[in-house]
Amino acid sequence: MISKTLMAASTRPIILAILSRGENYGYNIIQKVKDVTGGNLEWTDGMIYPVLQRMEMDNLITSQWKLSGENRPRRYYTITEKGRKELASELTGWRNVWQALNRFMTPVPAEEQ
Amino acid sequence: MFDLEKAIREWKRDLQKHEVFEDGLIADIEVHLRDAYDAQRKAGLEEEAAFRMAVTQVGKADRIASEFDKNRIVKLNRRSPLRPGRFMPALVWNYIKTALRVIRRQKIHSFINITGLAIGLTVCMLIVLWVADEWSFDRFHANARQINRVYRDESATNIDATSALTPPPMAAALKSDFSEIIRSSRFGYWQIPLVAFREKSFNEPGYRHADPDFFTMFSFPLVKGDPETLLTDPYSVVLTETTAAKYFGEEDPMGKVLTVNNTFDVVVTGIAEDVPSNSTLEFDLLSPFDLLLKEYIGEDNRDNWGFNSFSTYVMLPQNSSGDDFNQKLKGYLQKFGSEDPDELALQPLTDIHLFSNLGHDLRNRGDIKYVWIFSILAIFVLLIAGVNFMNLTTARSANRAKEVGLRKVVGADRSQLIRQFFGESVLMALFAFIAALFLLEILIPFFNAISGKHLSSPWQNNPLILCGFLGMAVMAGIVSGSYPALFLSSFRPIQILKGNMRSAGANSLFRKTLVIFQFSLSLFLIIGTIVISRQLSYMRNIDLGFDRDHTIHLSIHGELLEKYDAIRDRFLQNPEVLHVTASMALPTNIQSSPGTPEWEGKSPDTKMEIKADFVDYDYIETFGIPLVEGRSFSRSYATDEETAFIVNEEAVRRMGLQKPVVGKRFGFWDIDGQIIGVMKDAHFQSLQHKIEPLVFKIFRPWLRRMYVKIRSGNISSTLRSLEKSWNQMNLGYPFEYRFLDEDFSDLYKAEARLGSIFQSFAGLAVFIACLGLFSLAAFIAEQRTKEIGIRKVLGSSTIGIITLLNREFLRWTAAANLIAWPLAYFVMRRWIQKFAYRTNITIEIFMLAAMIGLAVTLVTVSIQTLKAAMANPAKSLKHE
Repeated sequence: MISKTLMAASTRPIILAILSRGENYGYNIIQKVKDVTGGNLEWTDGMIYPVLQRMEMDNLITSQWKLSGENRPRRYYTITEKGRKELASELTGWRNVWQALNRFMTPVPAEEQ
Repeated sequence: MFDLEKAIREWKRDLQKHEVFEDGLIADIEVHLRDAYDAQRKAGLEEEAAFRMAVTQVGKADRIASEFDKNRIVKLNRRSPLRPGRFMPALVWNYIKTALRVIRRQKIHSFINITGLAIGLTVCMLIVLWVADEWSFDRFHANARQINRVYRDESATNIDATSALTPPPMAAALKSDFSEIIRSSRFGYWQIPLVAFREKSFNEPGYRHADPDFFTMFSFPLVKGDPETLLTDPYSVVLTETTAAKYFGEEDPMGKVLTVNNTFDVVVTGIAEDVPSNSTLEFDLLSPFDLLLKEYIGEDNRDNWGFNSFSTYVMLPQNSSGDDFNQKLKGYLQKFGSEDPDELALQPLTDIHLFSNLGHDLRNRGDIKYVWIFSILAIFVLLIAGVNFMNLTTARSANRAKEVGLRKVVGADRSQLIRQFFGESVLMALFAFIAALFLLEILIPFFNAISGKHLSSPWQNNPLILCGFLGMAVMAGIVSGSYPALFLSSFRPIQILKGNMRSAGANSLFRKTLVIFQFSLSLFLIIGTIVISRQLSYMRNIDLGFDRDHTIHLSIHGELLEKYDAIRDRFLQNPEVLHVTASMALPTNIQSSPGTPEWEGKSPDTKMEIKADFVDYDYIETFGIPLVEGRSFSRSYATDEETAFIVNEEAVRRMGLQKPVVGKRFGFWDIDGQIIGVMKDAHFQSLQHKIEPLVFKIFRPWLRRMYVKIRSGNISSTLRSLEKSWNQMNLGYPFEYRFLDEDFSDLYKAEARLGSIFQSFAGLAVFIACLGLFSLAAFIAEQRTKEIGIRKVLGSSTIGIITLLNREFLRWTAAANLIAWPLAYFVMRRWIQKFAYRTNITIEIFMLAAMIGLAVTLVTVSIQTLKAAMANPAKSLKHE
């Protein structure tokens, strides 16, 4: 299980990462997250919409209503240039955190103690 | 059977309860629900179970709503991309256009509005200029803070008495006895001399005398001459530029010789710039004090410590306190006269104009009380003008409600509207400011005439004050525009555009209070004006107890005194001349006193100061002073010139003499004489003073003024023939005369001035109060338009409606009277109590003021109410 704070912090980069592969709509984004994490990230589906709205207000993504294959109108989200930059900087951040964690958790050479 | 669509509808209804779910968002989530449902169905669930799973998956509506809510707060704090910028330069022209359009559309109201504010600003500016001038007195001297005037504190013998006059030896004595005194100078005059250069000659009332330190102490800039050496040669003189031009025109005055009193010469050694009008020390010609000793009062008075007739100024080092020095001065005078109980003290130069209340002080001083009173008046006037501006603007606001509504609908937010209205009121205030500057230019000469000032317009030399005025105007605009701005911008567009104008009842109490307040102020000023003018006319018409009509007087100084008898005989040959006499002081204001006299049967501890004047024969006859006992001075008694005294009834009463008083021994100084007559009490002083004990004695060497009483018939031809006789005598002095009546009026100049200032302010206050009433009447009529319409429809007459509307105003007038009457009574009673002889403050004065107030109110208010009452009810009811 993942803590609530980590969830909150990771939501936006994950959405950006998904959208960086192409436009997508709310339901599908959730599905992708579930597929990739194998259910370790438990999102309440509805909670994604406020996040998407907020990201749109921040100009990270834009949205557009489109008719999908099953003849259902859906709101498709697209990542913006600003969103891509945000994603890049988030990735660096997450990598740094990950490296830091790794460094501390791997066995340490004797001379550094 | 499970109905999916129905279930979704119910689920949506649940979402719709939350305000944040806009339709788009709901559609978004609905699609999500349907996708989830489809997925569950595919996984093999029953329809109903699949729907429940999908709903659970989407999550609880209120939790999602609260997340959206957070976004909304963020949105409010930031401007959405659709919002207009804070300042739209493109709209500025529109604002100006709107403002000008409003001004143009409501010409009368704009005119009243701007005029009211302009008058308020003008009055305020005038007072600021006046107050600044009063404060500036004597402060232009570089050493102003170090210079002090020495005065005598006589409270040991005379309660509360002080005197600004000091003896000739004091200045030098103080300087040599106290190291703290760096410089000292005497300043004074003894007579009005005749000064001549070639054929030009003038009597010079501005001829003064001072010591050599004078020009290094005081900053009177010199055009020519060296301040270090000026006034060292006794027979030298410094002229002001104007005086120099009067005598020498274009010629260089330096080194020229002027003849004084046809007896001695003085050499021009310096030219000073004209003395500024804000100086308490004034001179046109200035000679060394030694000249005064040598030529006028005699060298033997150089060390006379009893000759208290001149001012003494001393200069202390920087940062030294006059108060400390006053301690050192204690008992100083006893060094020179062992019986002299008076004390010396210093008074800062800068206090002389506003804070001095010494005896024998310079004339034409100011009074700090008036400075405060006028400053407060200025603030009141500006406040009232501002409030009226506010009232009038708010009253007109209903007309602009639609504009506000429309602006809001197309996206203006409140702060923009507030700025727009502030901009408008500041624009109006600037118009008013420009108008006020013009008004100020027109009014300054009038104001100078009544206040006796020499104010110049701020354009000429005072850019700082001008900037201050501009600031004042802008402030007035902002402050008085604040209420309309906040009020107008608070209109709710939906209500306005629907036609519901909400009434602003909330602040009507505030408005009414202000109207009552300004009306009280007007009433107070009206009452003040009436009281002052009544007291003035009372003083002018009171029977003084002596006859001052058709009497001219001439100065007899220098050689003229020697020729006085010849002049008198010559004048008496003229059949139109009734009497000729002379005296030391003008009979309108006898102030000098020889101290306590001696008399027969005086008990040792009786103290009585007596006023005295030295006169010539025929004095009693010339002024028609009635005698109650004894006789007048007469040439047939050889001893009259030496030992005869005529006293007044008050003196007899105070001395406790029993009849017959005539023949009783009496005298002052070392004269042992007797009383030859008792005259009826008469007012030989301003009516502020009670009649005091008075004595007349003949003493011909001290005569200074000659009086000629002429027949009332052909005054101008008599004066012409007198001038002819004068010139035929080749006296060498011009024939300069004054009517005694003028001097009498001069006694009450201060009161007359106060009266005219009160009158002007009363006029202005009434005018401004009228504007206030007018605006309030307009406001109320506007508010009650519909009510009036309904009343008319139901059969009310025009008269009935006017009465209805006026009734309220009459109530306020009554309230204003209640406030103003007691206030005016107490203030005016205090003022009038300084006169020993005064009129009564009667109820009629108050009634008259109330009547004036009432009449003004009715006329002003009726203009508005009549308009409202005559309006066609169909019209007022239609605009729903």
